[in-house]
Amino acid sequence: MKRSIRVEFDELAKRFDLRVIFRGVSGRAEPGEVLVITGPNGSGKSTLVAMLCGLLRPTRGSIRYVDGDDGELSRDEWRSVLGVVAPSMGLYEELDAMENLRFFAKVRGVHDAESLCRDLLGRVGLDPGRKTPVGGYSTGMHQRLKIAQALLHDPPVLFLDEPGSNLDPTGQDWLEGMVLEQRERGTALVLATNDRREMEWGTRHVALSG
Amino acid sequence: MWRFLAEAAAVFVKDLRSEFRTKVALNALGLFAVTTLAAVSYTIGPYRIAEADRPFLLSALLWIVIFFAAMAGLDRSFVKEEDTHTAPLLRLSADPLVVWAGKLVFNLVLLAVLMAILVPLYIVLMGFHVSSPLALFAVLMAGGYTLGVTTTMVAAIIARAMTRGALFSVLSLPLLLPLMIFLIQGTRAAAEGSPDGVTQTLRAVISLGGVMTVVSVILFPVVWHE
Repeated sequence: MKRSIRVEFDELAKRFDLRVIFRGVSGRAEPGEVLVITGPNGSGKSTLVAMLCGLLRPTRGSIRYVDGDDGELSRDEWRSVLGVVAPSMGLYEELDAMENLRFFAKVRGVHDAESLCRDLLGRVGLDPGRKTPVGGYSTGMHQRLKIAQALLHDPPVLFLDEPGSNLDPTGQDWLEGMVLEQRERGTALVLATNDRREMEWGTRHVALSG
Repeated sequence: MWRFLAEAAAVFVKDLRSEFRTKVALNALGLFAVTTLAAVSYTIGPYRIAEADRPFLLSALLWIVIFFAAMAGLDRSFVKEEDTHTAPLLRLSADPLVVWAGKLVFNLVLLAVLMAILVPLYIVLMGFHVSSPLALFAVLMAGGYTLGVTTTMVAAIIARAMTRGALFSVLSLPLLLPLMIFLIQGTRAAAEGSPDGVTQTLRAVISLGGVMTVVSVILFPVVWHE
């Protein structure tokens, strides 16, 4: 049974030196819903996603992960309940796809990692038997592998930053199916995008002005 | 505990596999060690030092070669994660102490390989007579651990800095200077066959290693996430 976790953020602001990226941003991602973050280039969508994951600290404001049953999660616990796909996050280029997934499965303490990794690679359209290092993959194949990595531990919170970038039409159709499936299974999704098709998947919206 | 060890082993195996395929750290360490050793053996050689000065000077030169070779490659495990943008995903996937332990073991293995090749070569090329090889082995083991645990922590601190190449040496030097002094004394004592000198060195070096381990366990999660 997947945990029901919602992510709430209130009056978030981020400043790098004197440059204000955004301020006064609030919203929440509920289980079974898709929060879409939109905004022009440079408006801070990826910065907001990094902040919500715990990779960056906000200059002002608060972020809370609330478990439906057990109350608020500590910051150290966020890691175990979230999965992320983002352009700024790289995979190990000198390892092949199975080695990458096996590594992330092991450090996350995932059981039955071998069969799960094979299954996930098959689901995203990659060949588990392929021994090519990831450095030799196309950008679309990279993106598929990143999505598989994010789904490894079946996280109750899923952050997707421009998930459809570099995917071919078949990949984009698969992505839509995956988002809908995750919604139905009660995952709280946060989607940063400017793609009109992806924006339509949203049940809540946060627009950054830039 | 078993889960922690399994996860740290995964980080270590991943780093080892990456290193065998790219050989960046191995090449840096090996090239620096061989170049320094060649320079030292050609310019000083086995016979240009007075017999009485040999234990001390050859001990000092040995640790200088090991120190500079370590400076050339032990920062790679963390710097590479930042350079290739794999660090954010690693931060979100693994427990900080698991990352620290895995990378520490990787650096210790690199250092062990370096010493296993460098020290016998040095002994032969420089005509370094060691009265108590077992004592030298103990000093090398204790010194290698303390050098590894200190440089691993410094590498984590400098990995996200702009001028990290210079910073690694600048930050490491004051932390490693007392260690170097102890290790030179201990190696000299091993060469001269003085058990008391070796024991004193081992006590000091193991204490330093213990302190650095505790400091790393406390500081690393903060450094890794901030």
